[in-house]
Amino acid sequence: MSSIEADEEMPGGPMANRPVHFFWLLDCSGSMMGNKISELNFAIREALPEMQSAAKSNPAAKLMVRALTFNTGASWHDKQAIDVASYSWKDVHADGVTDMGAAFHLVARELGNLTMPQRALRPVLALISDGGPTDDYRAGLRSIEATPWGQRAVRIAIAIGNDADRSMLKEFLNNPELEPLLVHNAGQLASAIRWASTMAVKAASNAAPNTNSPLSNTGQQWQAPPTTDDEDVW
Amino acid sequence: MTGSGPTAWHVLRGSVRGLNKKFNQDSLYTASVADGAALVLSVADGHGSAAHFRSNMGSRWAVREFADCVTPFARTVVDRQEDPTTWLALFAAARALAGPICHRWRERALLYEAGHPANGAAAGERNPTRADLIPYGTTLLGLVVTQQLLFCWQVGDGDITTSADAGAPPRRPLATAEEEYGDDTDSLCEPEPWVKMRVHCQPMAPLGPRPLLIANTDGLSKSFEDERGYLKFATDVHSALERQGIDKVRLLLEGWLTRAAGKSGDDTTLVGVYAGE
Repeated sequence: MSSIEADEEMPGGPMANRPVHFFWLLDCSGSMMGNKISELNFAIREALPEMQSAAKSNPAAKLMVRALTFNTGASWHDKQAIDVASYSWKDVHADGVTDMGAAFHLVARELGNLTMPQRALRPVLALISDGGPTDDYRAGLRSIEATPWGQRAVRIAIAIGNDADRSMLKEFLNNPELEPLLVHNAGQLASAIRWASTMAVKAASNAAPNTNSPLSNTGQQWQAPPTTDDEDVW
Repeated sequence: MTGSGPTAWHVLRGSVRGLNKKFNQDSLYTASVADGAALVLSVADGHGSAAHFRSNMGSRWAVREFADCVTPFARTVVDRQEDPTTWLALFAAARALAGPICHRWRERALLYEAGHPANGAAAGERNPTRADLIPYGTTLLGLVVTQQLLFCWQVGDGDITTSADAGAPPRRPLATAEEEYGDDTDSLCEPEPWVKMRVHCQPMAPLGPRPLLIANTDGLSKSFEDERGYLKFATDVHSALERQGIDKVRLLLEGWLTRAAGKSGDDTTLVGVYAGE
C-alpha cells in the first residue's frame, strides 16, 4: 500500500450510520373495514416520500421501517425491517377483533432482541387504532416496558374517531404531557400520519439525558400536527 | 516531563461539528502544568437537543472548571509522585475531587443563569435552582497525566482509552458494565452528578514507555459498528503515530473526526497524549 493510500485510510473497524427503527402498529380489526382501512393504506403510502425525505435530510441516521397488524392476534406485515429508501407499502386488510396486547408482545420481542445495537437511536412506535383492546393490553405494555429500548422508545398514538379508547392510548404514550392525536376524517388521518412519519424520526434523533433520571422524555417535545378543517366523518 | 519516562509528550486535539448540526456544542481543553511535568486534558459534550439549548456554554464551562480544579492537584502529583507511598493518598484525593469539579460547574452555570435567565425572565427576579441548569447539560471527561501516574474522571458518555505500546489491546478503564442505550447519558445538569462521576487512577508503568491516551466524545465511538471497531481506532492511531509520526497524525486527525461525525451525526471531539521521541 502506498503512503498516500495509507493517509486516506480511516483508522478503526467498520463504520456505520446509526439505525432508527420505526414500527407501525396498525389496528386492522373489523371496525376498520371499509373507508377507514382504505384511507389508512392511502395515507401511509402517500406519507412514504416525506418519510424518505426526512431520512435523507438526516444522513447520519439509517431509518428502518416495519409494520405489524393486529386484529384476532397480531402478526408482522413486513417480514423484517426495511431501509425506508426501498420501503414500499403493501395494503393491509381489516377483519376480526382488537388484540392490541398481542401486538405489544410482538413488538416487545423485537425490541428485546439483539438486532438493535446499543448505539442505535431511539426506536419509534406509532400506534393507530379506532377502538378498544379486546385482550390484556396492559400485560403487553408491561412487556414493552421490560425492554431497554421499549422504555426509551418515542411513542405516538393516533385515535381514529370518537370510538377509539383514548385513555388506553394515553397509557401507551406513557407520558402525562402527551395526548393521542384524534382524527375524524381522511384529511386529518393523512396529516397525522405524515407528521408521525417525519417528526418522530427527528425526535428519535435528538439527544436526551438518561431516561431513568428525572429528566425523562425531554427529547419528546414535539408538537401535534395542524388538523384540517374538513368535516368530521369518523 | 523529566526523569526516566518518555522522552516527549505530544498532544493531539481536534473537534468537528456533527452532520447537520448548526454549531459544535463540544468543547476541549489541553494544557501543560508545572513546566510540562503534568498534562491536563478534557473534553465535554453539550447535549445539544432543544431542552439543552445552552449546552455549548455548559460544555465550555465544564472543561474550564475541570482544568481550574485539577491543576493544583496536578502540581501536587508532580511534587509527590516519586514516592510511591504517597500514591494511595493521591488516588483518594483524586476521587475526592469529583464533588468540587461538579460543584464548580454548577456554581458557574447558576451564576450565568441568574444574570441571563434561559426562560427569558428579567435578570435577578429569582434565584435559579438546579432545574434551571437543564439547558446547560453536558458530559465531562478529563485526564491528568504525569510521568508516574494517570488520573481519569468521567460523567456521562464518551470514552477514555489507554493503549500501551507493548502490543496489548487498548482498554477503556471507565467503561461501565452496561453501555448506555441510544443517546442516554448522565449529565452535569442532573442532581448530584458527583455520585455518577467515575474516577480511575493508576500508575503509568503498566502502559509502557510509549503509551497513547485518548479522551473523546461519543460522536467518535458511535460512528463505528461496534466497540471493537472503536478500540481498533485507538490501536490504528497508535500504530500511525509510531510509523508516521505526530505531525502526520495531527494533519490527518481532523479528516478522521469529520468522517466519524458524518456517520454518528454527532459533534466529535478528541484529545490525546502520545509519549514518543
